[in-house]
Amino acid sequence: MQANRLYILVTALLLLGYSWLFLFGTALQNTGFTPCLFKNCTGLACPSCGTTRSVSQVFKGNIISGILINPLGLVVAAVMIILPFWIIYDIAFKKNSLPQAYKATEKIINTKPSAILLILLLAANWAWNIYKGL
Amino acid sequence: MDSQKVDMFLMVNAKFFSPQHINYVREKLLAADDSKWFMMQAADLKDPTTSLVVSLLAGGFGIDRFIIGDTGLGVAKLLTCGGLGIWAIVDWFIISDATRQKNMEKMQMIFG
Repeated sequence: MQANRLYILVTALLLLGYSWLFLFGTALQNTGFTPCLFKNCTGLACPSCGTTRSVSQVFKGNIISGILINPLGLVVAAVMIILPFWIIYDIAFKKNSLPQAYKATEKIINTKPSAILLILLLAANWAWNIYKGL
Repeated sequence: MDSQKVDMFLMVNAKFFSPQHINYVREKLLAADDSKWFMMQAADLKDPTTSLVVSLLAGGFGIDRFIIGDTGLGVAKLLTCGGLGIWAIVDWFIISDATRQKNMEKMQMIFG
């Protein structure tokens, strides 16, 4: 993928993520609304259901309860905190480090052992999600 | 490369590329030497229709992005539940083109 497209995409996703988090914390509080297609169709939790609840817990400082809701939330929270600074750093110093890191991570994930490990972890997490009834 | 060979390749594989790229691929193939032929045959091209079907069924998990080789975007899509469902719907419409684009990138890698 081209570098500028990656920056635009990441920025858009971050904006979407933060505005969704804000919306979730204010207007949608306790309404039980979910935009998840899978959950709305089947009634079962999807692999990333509960991420919003988890992220908002982590941002409030309750890391343990965040992990108990959905461990993926911790990953998303870390990404949401780190990436804005990373983008600002890249723009300020005219570096190209984010696309390079993106490519390097993609290469690591594409190797068979790490792919299998990730799939197993996600499947286990998904089973836990359904068991918890998120 | 032999023009008959090239036209045969394009006839079989036209669906993998955008119409506007076909001519470019043909020119490049004609200019390439025969050693590239086996690499072309072995190239792991993805079918746009397959990725569209996968996108409709499992787009919310980012499986479509994993399939075409956009692993990074696939992970992002998976973690955000298909970009809150919005990205999943957008991808229903752009995944075929994204697949063709990816195939084109693979070709360009072979051509060097």
